Parts: sequence; structure tokens; C-alpha cells
Amino acid sequence: MKQTNLDQVLDDAVAQLPTEISPKKDLWQGVENAIAKQPTQIEKKSHVWQQVTALAACMCLGLLSYQVFFNQQSNQYEAGLQAMTQTFKQEKQALLVKYSDQKALADNWQAQLAELENAEKAIKLALENEPENATLLRMLSQVYQQQLDLINKVHKPSWQQI
Amino acid sequence: MLIDAEQRFVKEQEANFDLQLIEKVNMGDRQAFHDLYNRHYKRVFALTLRLTANESLAEEALQEVFVQLWQKLSSFDGKAKFTTWLHSVAANITISYLRKQTNWLQKVVSFEQAGMPEQEVEMCNDLNGLDKYIVRLPEKARLVFVLFAVEGYRHEEIAEQLNMAVGSSKAQYHRARSLLKEWMSNETD
Repeated sequence: MKQTNLDQVLDDAVAQLPTEISPKKDLWQGVENAIAKQPTQIEKKSHVWQQVTALAACMCLGLLSYQVFFNQQSNQYEAGLQAMTQTFKQEKQALLVKYSDQKALADNWQAQLAELENAEKAIKLALENEPENATLLRMLSQVYQQQLDLINKVHKPSWQQI
Repeated sequence: MLIDAEQRFVKEQEANFDLQLIEKVNMGDRQAFHDLYNRHYKRVFALTLRLTANESLAEEALQEVFVQLWQKLSSFDGKAKFTTWLHSVAANITISYLRKQTNWLQKVVSFEQAGMPEQEVEMCNDLNGLDKYIVRLPEKARLVFVLFAVEGYRHEEIAEQLNMAVGSSKAQYHRARSLLKEWMSNETD
């Protein structure tokens, strides 16, 4: 057969190739088993969104709980601070009234008191930024006590101090 | 003229039916996927059998194609015809599947797989005409011939897909044609 004829025969044979061939086995079962375990891409995306939504919900809930707890704690600290300050102010005022007619044993006690009051202001300023800071609260309590002690000390006779 | 119009109408109807099925499959409808499988598996098997030249591998490759199709179908954007897109996906998956079957020795010495042995071709009832010769071609010549002459790929695309030079793709095509003509000639003599 001539070369050109063979080329034509080959081209015709290609054009006549069947578009379909049947496999001898039923292959669907294998496919079905495999896809039974797998979600489609869209189902996967939907699962991912469900997970993201659930995660976001959990995070919101956590944040909310934390904020509620934090606010509660913060409120507790603030209430404690206010009560302590209120008590201190009343006690200090009562002592100053009590010793108003009595001469102080030391001359510079008011300067010492002013120093303690400055310390009190500095601690209160720090507490505005960190209201739940236990160390600052303890320091404030000590400064209050020192002020009361100082007022008492400088107005009591020495024999009472023994 | 009337027949042409009728054929075009039927094709359009079928393409629309495919699109309806795809929409359902994307919603997770497995029955729709079974329908889609029934409409196309024979076409896909013709491609996987020609590319692999091995019935068992062709069957496994077909299953691999449809399993991956289940996951990838949402990426079909409808720009091309579904059958065109499916053939392209099937060719890619089958070639990857063939690569996985290549053992380390074949990779090291670049040993080319021979085609289907003649005795096996005779046992393969479904192969007729040119298919009986195509499956006997050596692997590279067969892949290039099927992709170029049967599937209509360009040599540039084939070269990229098979990781070879464009010149090699053309050379393999001519090698395939020569072998096919030789075998056809021997049969007619």
C-alpha cells in the first residue's frame, strides 16, 4: 500500500474510533464506596463554615464570660477600695477633730502627713490604670494606716506610747 | 441541514442535562452523581484504556477519575463543555496515575513501558479497529498519539503535560504513526 494511502487510512481509522468503550466490570460500586466517605468540595466548605461559626461562637462566649467575670472582679475591687477609703477618711477626720485642741509632740508631723498624702495620691493614680492590682491596694492600705498612726503618735503623751 | 440542526439541539439538551446534574451533585446529591457517571463512564473508560493500554489500570484510573470528580466538580465553571472539561480532567488524572505505577527502576533507567502484548489484545474483546494497534504502542508514543490525534491536544500542551520537549512530542507522534501504519500494512498484506 502506498505511503499516502496508508496516511489516509490511518486518519480515517482515527476518525472512526469509538467514543465509548464499556469496561467488563461494574466499576460504580468502588466509586460509590469511595465517595461515601468523602464530602463534595461544597459540602467541605459548608463544614468549614460551620466549624468557623462554632469556633467564633465559642470565642464570643468566652470573651463575654471573661468580660463579665472581669467586670465583676473589677467592681469588687472598686467597691473594696471605696469602702476602705471611706473608712480611712472618717477615721482620719475623727482623729483630727479629737486632737484639734491638743498640741502635737512633733513640729514637723504635718510635713510627714503631707508626704504620706502624696504617696496616697500616687498609689490612687496607679490604681486607676490597674484597679485590681492587689499590691497597690495593700500599699494604699499601709499608707492609710501610717497616716492614722502618725496622727495618733504625735498627739499622745509619751507614757501612753509605751 | 435539518439533521445538523437536530443533532445540535440534542447536544445542547444533553449539555443542559449535565449542568442540571452538576448543580444537584454540588448540593451533595449522590444519585445525581450516579446519573452523571452513567452518562460518561464509557467515554472516560475509552480514554483511560487507550492511555494505560492495560485493562486493570484503566478500570482503576476510571474509578480514580470519578472519585476525584466528586470532590472537584464544584470547580467546573461552565466555560467549556462539560465533556471537554471531563476529558481534560480524566487525561490529567490518568497520566498522574500512570506515573505512580512506574517503579523506581523504570524511573532510574528511563525504561519505557511497552504497550499491551498481542495475546492480551486478542483477549480484550472491546478493542476493535485502530484501538487494537494503539494499545500496542510503546508508552510515550501512545500517550502522545492519543492526546494529539484522538483528544485534539496541541503538541505544546502535551509537552507540558508529559514533561517533555515540544520536539520530542512531535517525534513521538511520528514514531506512533509509523508503527501504526506498519502494523496496519502488515495486516492488509
